[in-house]
Amino acid sequence: MASATGAASHPVPPSLSLPPSQFARLQPHAYLLAHLSPPAASNQPSIRANGRASSQFRVTSANAGSLTHTNGSAVVRMGDTTSVCGVRAEILRTEDIASWSVSRTSNEASNKRRRLAELNEKPNEEDEDTAADDEEDRAHIEDLNLLVPNLSLSTGCAPGFTPGAPPSALAQSLSHQLLSLLHSTRLVRADDLRIWYQPPSLGPEELERHNDDEQMDVDPNPSGGVEDHKNREIKGFWVLYIDVMIISLAGNPFDAAWASVLAALRDTKLPRSWWDVDSEMILCSDNVSEASKLSLRGLPVASSFCVFEADAAAGWRAVVIPDAEEQKARSQKKGSQQRWILADPDGYEENLGQERICLVVDKEKGGKGKTVVLKMEKHGGWTVDTDDLRQLVDISARRWDEMKRILDQC
Amino acid sequence: MRTGQPRLGSQNRIAAYFAAVVSDESVRECFAGPAAFPILPNKRVYFARNRGDGEDKEEVEAKVQALGVTATSKYMGEQWLVHVPGTHTRSATHHPQKNCVSNFVTFTTRHQATTTFIMVGPTASLAPLYRADGSSSYTCPATGYELLGAVNAPVELPARRDALKPEEATVEVFVKPGTTTAGVGERYVEGILRSVLATVILGREKGLPRRGVVITLAIVGGEDVERGDSYLTLLPALLHTSLLALLSATVPLSMTFSATLLGVTKSGIIIPDPSAADAKAMASLHALAFSSKGHLLLNESQGRFEFDTWEAVRQKALAICQNTAVSADGDVSMAEGAEGAPLHDFVRETVEDQVHRDYPWKIDAV
Repeated sequence: MASATGAASHPVPPSLSLPPSQFARLQPHAYLLAHLSPPAASNQPSIRANGRASSQFRVTSANAGSLTHTNGSAVVRMGDTTSVCGVRAEILRTEDIASWSVSRTSNEASNKRRRLAELNEKPNEEDEDTAADDEEDRAHIEDLNLLVPNLSLSTGCAPGFTPGAPPSALAQSLSHQLLSLLHSTRLVRADDLRIWYQPPSLGPEELERHNDDEQMDVDPNPSGGVEDHKNREIKGFWVLYIDVMIISLAGNPFDAAWASVLAALRDTKLPRSWWDVDSEMILCSDNVSEASKLSLRGLPVASSFCVFEADAAAGWRAVVIPDAEEQKARSQKKGSQQRWILADPDGYEENLGQERICLVVDKEKGGKGKTVVLKMEKHGGWTVDTDDLRQLVDISARRWDEMKRILDQC
Repeated sequence: MRTGQPRLGSQNRIAAYFAAVVSDESVRECFAGPAAFPILPNKRVYFARNRGDGEDKEEVEAKVQALGVTATSKYMGEQWLVHVPGTHTRSATHHPQKNCVSNFVTFTTRHQATTTFIMVGPTASLAPLYRADGSSSYTCPATGYELLGAVNAPVELPARRDALKPEEATVEVFVKPGTTTAGVGERYVEGILRSVLATVILGREKGLPRRGVVITLAIVGGEDVERGDSYLTLLPALLHTSLLALLSATVPLSMTFSATLLGVTKSGIIIPDPSAADAKAMASLHALAFSSKGHLLLNESQGRFEFDTWEAVRQKALAICQNTAVSADGDVSMAEGAEGAPLHDFVRETVEDQVHRDYPWKIDAV
């Protein structure tokens, strides 16, 4: 609007030309297209209306530990999209789990398996151990719902969000995406969330030990030996309530939300907790130095893309859509680019394209290993296929390096 | 004694079929040959066997035992019933339609009898509901899902949505789970379905702009999707149901599509159509949809995988959907191979069957 009044104040007679801001509103598609495919004579580079190159992400900043009343929190800002995430931990006692006594038998079975594995030689043990652990992790975290993410798009984060409305379909599906990604990446280890109780070894067992080996009786060190883990039982779990609030929405909410969840979980500290036999409850230490951080599995980083097609009128008529092969050949033959894959789309660009791609990648060995895809989602169009996706995985891998640097600093 | 007469289908292939729970190794071993397709433990394997001339009990049993399956056989009229202990044997009359065989492996004895292991493909019928503009019911035996879809189009939407996109139809999708109310998972899958269907629906055709295409999908049978579980196992079934319902409602479409679900095990074997229980054990899961013209319309992958794995999955999925596996010399093989009838033909045949049922007078006139 400011530029419009600026134009009016000029002494020249009103012309039919429009200032760019109004052109952007009236003809959004043509406006972005004009930026992406400038006339060859103008010698300008192809650039998005927001000044970024097509594979460039917005400036991202992250800040962890901003909220004092949470176990872990983070604010992530990607351009004008800002996401706040707080992780709150609460205790779930096993006696409150209705199916615990039923499911525990399977748990013990896997414990037994693990103990058997521990007896085996080293390399074998690790393999077996992780396999058994994986299943137990999945069972505990997914079946007991130990991770509860919720995303809210707060009032006023974007013009369309009015107060008092129920959670929009977008907010609900984002919540689901966060949860299913937390589950499928197995980011949080169930072992971090378990609260154990180790009963003191009592009379008859000690006798047994006495017969077996006299030295064990003299020096019962708590960390050594299979024997010590025998009667260990789980008395409770930490449940992590992961609340994400998008306080400003300017496109690409998923990347920002996931980055904030990741940063908040990296920041999360759980107090040392134990089962107190005398009071029959779980007690927590309020000593900060005793609190432990979560040990997360890897660093999955999300990057989203949106496809902008040059031909806005393609959908207007019942045009004959070319075969996939034909289309590929045609796009190679034609000199001018017909579509652009825009990384980290802002709100303006999201409105202009239906086709979305979301990739979540991780790199093994802290960035030195190969790139692994953890989620690949593509829908809403038919133009992107294998070759493009391969390039996008590379772009996402570069984004991973950038996000790792940002998250390590916060 | 009559010789084995084909009752349905193209060849003397199916006469009876059985559900067998077979151990992993045994079946994998037997499919280790050229037509290898791996089968998971506890996966239902249907196999059919029709009688050859003069084949005796011992020979049938030996043949089945060669597959690593312990079974007893019994001669029943025209066919041998092979009973695998601990399994549920279905009656021979409960027979799949001819177009439901999607994966099979056949071997022949010296008496020209054939035994066929079938992965039973989906079955569907059009217009089972009367009040909806179009509807379809869909059963997928491999995953156990049963769905019912209804389409109303074009309808006036109660809420005014002109502000969104007045020039085209609004596509609305509702998914109703079988036993619970719809939750956040359904919102998510509705969004995906909407974006896939909106690309194939010609929403700017006459009569559609400013109106709504409302698709309601009810999950009638099969395992429930739990909180936070992936919806990928259901996606192909939901997509097929909605496509058939849209066809039944004669909503203008730019192309049709077919979808499939593939799982990759930890050892890197690609498995078509894993059930919900099997899917949990997979290293990665991929749901892909291809248009009738070969475009990749949808890809939903989750789990840990590398891009090269995905490329192999994509190729396999394209072969399952369209059966256009291009061989080394560039020939497109359209013959029924180990993959069986492609899913794309399933959609086509379902519609063809319905047309033959609805318009016999018209077809006869031509």
